[in-house]
Amino acid sequence: MGKYIAKRIGYMALVFLIVSFLMYALYNLIPTDPARAELEAQKRNLKPDEYEQMYQQLRAQMGLDDPLVIRYARWMGLWPDVEGGFNGLLQGNFGYSEFFKQDVIRVIEAPMGNTIFINIFSTILALGITIPLGIYCAVHKGKKIDNGVQVVTMLGYSLPIYIIALVFMFFFCVYWRIFPISGTKTAGAIYNSGWEEFLDMLIHVTLPVIVMTFASLGGMTRYVRSAMIDALSMDYIRTARAKGLKEKVVIYSHAWRNALLPIITSIIGWFISIFSGSVIIENTFSLNGMGKLYWTGLNNLDFELVLAIQMFYTVVALIGSLIMDVSYGLVDPRVRVDK
Amino acid sequence: MSNKKKKFFLVRWFKRCVLGDRAELSTEEEERIQTPMRAMLSSFVHKPLAMIGLFVFLAIFVFVLVGPRFWPLDLSEQDATLTNLPPSSDMMNVPEELLETGIADIASGNTYGIGIDVNGKLYIWGHTRVTDKIDMADIPQEVLDADIVHIAAGTDHCVAVAADGQVYVWGNTRLKQDQFSNDMEKAMEKGGEDWEVIQLEASNQFSAIVTSDGNLYLWGNGNMADIKLRSKYEGEIAKVALTENEYICLLTDGTVAYTGYKDKNSPFAKIPSELKGKTVVDIAATGKSVAAVTEDGEIVVWGNALKGEADVPELSAKPVKLYGGRYHYTALLENGDVVSWGDNKYGQIDVPEAVHAADDVQNIYVSNYQNYAVAADGELYTWGLKGFVLGTDSLGRDMLTRIVNGGRVTMTVGAISVVIATILGVLFGGLAGYFGGKLDILIMRIAEIVGGLPFIPFAMILSAVIGTRLDPTQRMYLIMVVLGVLSWVPTCRLVRAQILAQREMEYVTAAKAMGIREGTIVFRHILPNVVSLLIVSMTLDFATCMLTESTLSYLGFGIPLPTPTWGNLLNGANNSIVIQQYWWQWVFPAAIFGVCTICINLIGDGLRDALDPKALER
Repeated sequence: MGKYIAKRIGYMALVFLIVSFLMYALYNLIPTDPARAELEAQKRNLKPDEYEQMYQQLRAQMGLDDPLVIRYARWMGLWPDVEGGFNGLLQGNFGYSEFFKQDVIRVIEAPMGNTIFINIFSTILALGITIPLGIYCAVHKGKKIDNGVQVVTMLGYSLPIYIIALVFMFFFCVYWRIFPISGTKTAGAIYNSGWEEFLDMLIHVTLPVIVMTFASLGGMTRYVRSAMIDALSMDYIRTARAKGLKEKVVIYSHAWRNALLPIITSIIGWFISIFSGSVIIENTFSLNGMGKLYWTGLNNLDFELVLAIQMFYTVVALIGSLIMDVSYGLVDPRVRVDK
Repeated sequence: MSNKKKKFFLVRWFKRCVLGDRAELSTEEEERIQTPMRAMLSSFVHKPLAMIGLFVFLAIFVFVLVGPRFWPLDLSEQDATLTNLPPSSDMMNVPEELLETGIADIASGNTYGIGIDVNGKLYIWGHTRVTDKIDMADIPQEVLDADIVHIAAGTDHCVAVAADGQVYVWGNTRLKQDQFSNDMEKAMEKGGEDWEVIQLEASNQFSAIVTSDGNLYLWGNGNMADIKLRSKYEGEIAKVALTENEYICLLTDGTVAYTGYKDKNSPFAKIPSELKGKTVVDIAATGKSVAAVTEDGEIVVWGNALKGEADVPELSAKPVKLYGGRYHYTALLENGDVVSWGDNKYGQIDVPEAVHAADDVQNIYVSNYQNYAVAADGELYTWGLKGFVLGTDSLGRDMLTRIVNGGRVTMTVGAISVVIATILGVLFGGLAGYFGGKLDILIMRIAEIVGGLPFIPFAMILSAVIGTRLDPTQRMYLIMVVLGVLSWVPTCRLVRAQILAQREMEYVTAAKAMGIREGTIVFRHILPNVVSLLIVSMTLDFATCMLTESTLSYLGFGIPLPTPTWGNLLNGANNSIVIQQYWWQWVFPAAIFGVCTICINLIGDGLRDALDPKALER
């Protein structure tokens, strides 16, 4: 197992390098000149030839004239920069955000916390609802409740998430006025304690979490249901029932464990999509999260920031697929991943 | 019950169309082995839900395909006076009571009408809330009590003159719409012969009154409009015609004159030479042009006639009276017939057949986009802007037009990206599945990388980075390619898995033994057996691609405005004002898009179940 994980991590590192290089190359298609931007403030006080000299000096200092591969390796921290030290992504230097005039790491601190908070919250909620619901529907297949749930889940996966968000906003924020419409905290609020602050944030993120959960209900419930139906139609279930086992034991011990394998595949894919889906949710609800930041960065052509967030998404996706492969082996002893 | 029967009839009908009449098959034909495609189709038509989905989708598809012919898209369209209008079609529904009592005068604003009956009672109809704050239906009580004889509607204000000469203004009065000039106040005070109003007009933030002694009084927002009269024309004015910001006058001696102070750069100041030496009987003005009718029936138009106001049609008789709307003219002819010309966006110039047939029109009231004609027997005919079925957006564009054209763009983008994704998927999947080995490993690794990328952020990046140098049309193609290139992986996996299974079949061995080239085996022998599966995945992918495109457009990284798509119609809908007050701006696009994707998914699920007999148990 350990060997397999090590191999997978090695492969992940390779994929990460390839993807990051592609992204870096993509950004270099954009005609920007950080050296000129740096000198813009002093341009008035300099004579043209002085300016030109300083400009060339700065370019050399920033390493702008080096080939793409070297610039990439420097950015990643695999190649010494002009001063001879390693200072890149791998050393924890995520770059400098031109838009926020701050180090990227500072900029993404708070949004990252919000995003992870919201996503984990809605993941737990969604799994807590979809799995029991899917099992219930599979067991009561063809009954009225099952048909009703089928219709609702159909809506859940056919409608784009922002339409669901708009409808929920209409009812919960405008019509009944239960939740605030946007943001992560009440404007101008002064908190007496950390607990109050937390409660305020909780109220603000409730609706986004509900929307995300509702949107992900559709696909997952259907998946759990069909996997369970497949498992329940197997011969060993009939055997178990014939042995006189309790129905609960048949469902949860015999059928559920066998249905788990295909479900795990979809859970991971869905977990990744939740992260990218939060771009939409965070924009719709104006939440200060990674997705919103990404959107802001892209709109303002703040590429070091965008690149860093893109790397975050890539890492989430890679780790997700690693967990998926490893959990195969944990869930189903027949699958020998280390082979 | 009858509904259910009808549905089954439709299903039977569709079945006959696709598969022919079952009853005529002999037992031998009946038992013949069907191709997977045929089996799938025959199973599909028995699924009521999937068939409903198919019919609804086809209806929407035909609607967005044919719709743009009826509601053509004008990308530069916008109209500040028609913004955020709710769905309505009652802008010209004159109250019954007014019709019964007898119409004395009608004036129409952009979206509402206001009228007085012969007893001086005031009526208002249509969409009266012209801005968030101003509702023209909030008529002051003193106006309702007064005996009104003249009425006029401006852009956001109304003017009424009572029988005792009192002038009332309501609506937007913040731009001096109710500040009368000194001369006018003096004349009003004197009353009697000095203040006998014969004409009342209102336009964009200013108003005008002509009195029987030939005086013209103008008041309102002088910064925007020309509200001064050269003193040499005092006492000679017979009629006034207001454009958006200027005016011309018909003088008592039958000539037309520009009597304001903006004559240096006004397009109206230079009176056309055709009018020289002729007697003018009537004048009228649209928003940006003016027109005059001479005694011998000639109509002359000058000014900025950009929307066809100058294209006077062949007239069957001599025109006697002329009326101007916002971009069109309507003329009353000597024989009682009515002719309209100019802009026809809202049907302003489609004079009803009944008017031509009646031939006894007495009075016509024209302003903005509306025409009201009253026949001798009191019958009222209306034509022009009745309302917007689905409302308008924040730039005054018709939502129906945007939705129809947006649907076409969304569906085109979805379809083309699915085709790109399928071609790529089949190509790579076929190669990997059939040849295996290193090629397989390489392709599947690439597929893993592409499939593992977070989709939406990556598509946003591609669109933002490459899209900055492209024009809107190229950007649309870019979105298609990006969607296609990022979504071929599932198809590739599907095709590969199928080919791995099919490769071991006898027919492939037979084909190999016959010495057929490998490429031919893959694409001509194996692939047809996979097609039915492909169709299912294409259907479901079509919904996904439409969703992704609309999501990107919603975020502002897809197809840029002003080209409409179902996604970017909803861009900017996420604030409480739009959600609550302008609900039609998001409910309609969201509804049609939602129904469309649900239907596609129903079809896709139906096809998948039809293809897989095991799925029937589910």
